[in-house]
Amino acid sequence: MILALLEDRARHGYEIGQLIDLRSRGAIRFNVASLYPLLYRLEKRNWIKGRWIEKPGQRRRRYYRLTASGKKVLLKQRAGWREFVEAINLITGIQHA
Amino acid sequence: MPDFKAEIRRHLSELGLPPIREAEILEELSQHLEQEYDRALSGGASEEEARRRALEELNTPDLFRSQLSDVEHRVSQEPIASGTREKINIFADLGQDVRYALRMLVKNPAFTAVAVIALALGIGANTAIFSVVNAVLLRPLPFKNPGQLVMVWENAAHVGFPKDTPSPANFLDWQKQAQSFSGMAATVERSFNLTGVGEPERLEGRRVSANLFDLLGVPALVGRTFVTDDDRPGTHVVLLSYSLWQRRFGSDPGVIGQALTLNGESYTVVGVMPRLVQLPGYSSRHDQLWVPIAFSQEEASQRGNHFLEVIARLKPGITLKQAQAEMETIAARLARAYPVYNMRRGAVVVPLHEQVVGDIKPALLVLLGSVGFVLLIACANVANLLLARAAVRQKEIALRLAIGASRARLTRQFLTESVLLAIFGAGFGLLLAFVGIRVLRTFIPSTISQVQTINIDGTVLIFTVLVAVLTGIAFGLAPAIHGSHLNLNDTLKEGSRDSTGGIKGHRARALLVIGEVAISFVLLIAAGLLINSFLHLRKLDPGFRPDHLLTMKVDLSEVKYPDRERRAVFFDEVIRRVRTLPGVQSAAVAGNLPLTYNGDSMNISVEGLPDPPPDQRSDVIYRAIGPGYFSTMGIAIVRGRDFTDEDKADSRDVVIISEKTAQHFWPGQDPIGKRLKPGSSTSNGPWREVIGIVKDVRQNDFIAPPKMEMYLSYRQLKNIPANALVVRTSIEPTSIARSVRDTIWSVDKNQSVADIDTMEHIVAQAVARQRFSMLLLGFFAAIALLLASIGIYGVISYSVAQRTREIGIRMALGARRADVLKMTIKEALKLVGIGMMIGLVVALLLTRVIATLLYGISASDPSTFVAISLVLLIVAIVASYLPALRATKVDPVVALRAQ
Repeated sequence: MILALLEDRARHGYEIGQLIDLRSRGAIRFNVASLYPLLYRLEKRNWIKGRWIEKPGQRRRRYYRLTASGKKVLLKQRAGWREFVEAINLITGIQHA
Repeated sequence: MPDFKAEIRRHLSELGLPPIREAEILEELSQHLEQEYDRALSGGASEEEARRRALEELNTPDLFRSQLSDVEHRVSQEPIASGTREKINIFADLGQDVRYALRMLVKNPAFTAVAVIALALGIGANTAIFSVVNAVLLRPLPFKNPGQLVMVWENAAHVGFPKDTPSPANFLDWQKQAQSFSGMAATVERSFNLTGVGEPERLEGRRVSANLFDLLGVPALVGRTFVTDDDRPGTHVVLLSYSLWQRRFGSDPGVIGQALTLNGESYTVVGVMPRLVQLPGYSSRHDQLWVPIAFSQEEASQRGNHFLEVIARLKPGITLKQAQAEMETIAARLARAYPVYNMRRGAVVVPLHEQVVGDIKPALLVLLGSVGFVLLIACANVANLLLARAAVRQKEIALRLAIGASRARLTRQFLTESVLLAIFGAGFGLLLAFVGIRVLRTFIPSTISQVQTINIDGTVLIFTVLVAVLTGIAFGLAPAIHGSHLNLNDTLKEGSRDSTGGIKGHRARALLVIGEVAISFVLLIAAGLLINSFLHLRKLDPGFRPDHLLTMKVDLSEVKYPDRERRAVFFDEVIRRVRTLPGVQSAAVAGNLPLTYNGDSMNISVEGLPDPPPDQRSDVIYRAIGPGYFSTMGIAIVRGRDFTDEDKADSRDVVIISEKTAQHFWPGQDPIGKRLKPGSSTSNGPWREVIGIVKDVRQNDFIAPPKMEMYLSYRQLKNIPANALVVRTSIEPTSIARSVRDTIWSVDKNQSVADIDTMEHIVAQAVARQRFSMLLLGFFAAIALLLASIGIYGVISYSVAQRTREIGIRMALGARRADVLKMTIKEALKLVGIGMMIGLVVALLLTRVIATLLYGISASDPSTFVAISLVLLIVAIVASYLPALRATKVDPVVALRAQ
């Protein structure tokens, strides 16, 4: 999920938290206590990489971007999810039909 | 805005994160909370409400901590300043130290290379010499319970033989009476002519008691060893050595039961012994085969004929002392029973290992000590380099200390660096040692029987690793302690001078140079003494002219040539033909060439003089020779004449004696025409008339003064055959070796010819051990000198670099270049002087150790000491001259502006 959010551009931790909240329409919420350990873990796995970036007129912030191996993992996970979702749809779809 | 950082820090504090990482997390999280807070405020919440909401983000502190610690502790974060982490985790720290040290070494390739080379030389030399020590001194002999094995000798110290070979009758009595031993066996060297298969060949071997191999605990590789029944005259069985089996019989197990023709008689092969089984003894020959000793009736009753070597095994629980005491009692009993032969003859029990390594042990220990010294010097050099570098690294060290690294931790970091250096040094050292051992093997004297087993085995590897680690600590400790005790204030101040690079560091480096000079002085003295002693040895007059002499062993078969007449016919013909060969000046028949054989002496009685009591009879070395021997060998005839073809079996019995013999028996008289005979005056032998006196020859031992000698004509001897040929050539002697051998074969195609050698080589072999010690010690001393001069050079050039400003001021104030040169060299000479004084004292104390290795000079030989001092001084001046020259090039303006 986080990997998907970082696919198109680098984001800082707060932004990631907000986006998850927003896109899941409040269904999934990470607070600081769980979000950051997760980020550090992903960073340790070398799937994402955090860097301090300073922008004019702003405090420096740590932006996370997807690494090459992160991208691979993301692709794999996406495929996995799609299969999973399709399977669920198939099961639930029979009921609708 | 509330201070969220304090709250977050509270949660983080328990995790013990590296400070840098903690600061990062703190900043990132507090930003998040602040944004949360702002959002709440803009959503209309009160400040208190907004703060509460922001802090809710941390509402599961336990989860937060455990999750973070899961991730963060396994993420090995490299702190910016290593050594600042307080938590102690030895292995994590070690890994970190090693990585850091590796980076530092890679960053300074020149430093690393110099240090590693110095250490590789030191450690390599140590490994090589230790591998020799390991093989020769430490590794147990390849026998069962080798600690129980001893050799037993007769003690005839009163006639100059403290370890004399026992006679058969005495040995048989020992064997019967001694209770301290579980077994006792005798051996005697014997050569065999192998004929009938391929080229005739002379093989070294031994007659041995049948129980010998059981006693040693060595079973046969193929077939069997001897059994008691073999030990009877007329039983012709033989055991082959591994190498003979391989070489002549293609490792064919079917050789068991085959018949071999040895000395013209047929022997049945009963077994093959495993590889590397060599019997210890007086001379370490490489036995190729063994036959049972099988004393004949006559032999077994001989009490005055000493030629056995006796090996015994102590019973379990019996000490060497007890065995020695028992043997002395038995010897005393035998002396009472047979005073004519055994008066004052004791017995001496020597551990086998001591017997085998006895002679070479002092030399090896001296060498081991000297390579230890070389390593110490290498250490001092590397320590010097590290000290110089510590000065450069002061800022880094101070910064780390300031951030909170403990001094102990920094010391460890430094030690890791130095041990790592040492380990690299050891790696290259092992390569050097590998090559070194190959070289060593080629010029280790062949008398050391374990030469073939010298290799780098587990013991040597452990030794090398230990040496490497100890070395690393030894040369790293001073710089480490020194480096971690910085005055933070001074060092961190911008633009400050190198405070520790100054007086304290300089003193440490000066001390190291003094130490290096002292040690290399000691080594150079030792090497100088050995070289000097060797030169003395080479100047010794052997009594003959070794140049242009070709020699070879021609042992005649007792079956084919059973009497002197047939032997004489063979030799006459060989000599006649050899003399006609081009390039041959003269040729003669000889018996046991000088310096190739120990033994063959007898006591004599002189006509007209009463026989001295048995214990005061003097032994005279005797040799059976043919006419022309003296002129061919270049032995000067002082008076009288040489043997001629007319001195035959049926003519008057004659003898030629050496000067020393003449002086002993006929002091102040002319011995020509006087008569003597072997044994007592009442013995059966004929009186022999002295017809000539020749110069003393070093027969058995090159180094000891010549003993009394006499020469007999081989044609007049029944039982003592001549067994060698000497040929004086006008050309390079080895170039006609083949044609001489073919000439012998043209007389008898089955006659073996062995040990073809030049006399010069034989003489060189006689001093091979001395040459070995001298060359090696000289080599190590040269390395030591090189390392020490590099050390001097390093310290002086560093000191010049440090004092650029001072030199600049001096020159600005009018000092001339010559003054600066003088000042710099004086500084170097001061260090060298102190080092030499210390070295002198140590050398005077230590050279006593090598006194036993010296010949012709004393261990405190003044000329050697003076010469070596001069060498060291000159090297020191050269080593300090280059940096001194650089000092004179200092431009005062530049030097002063730089600060």
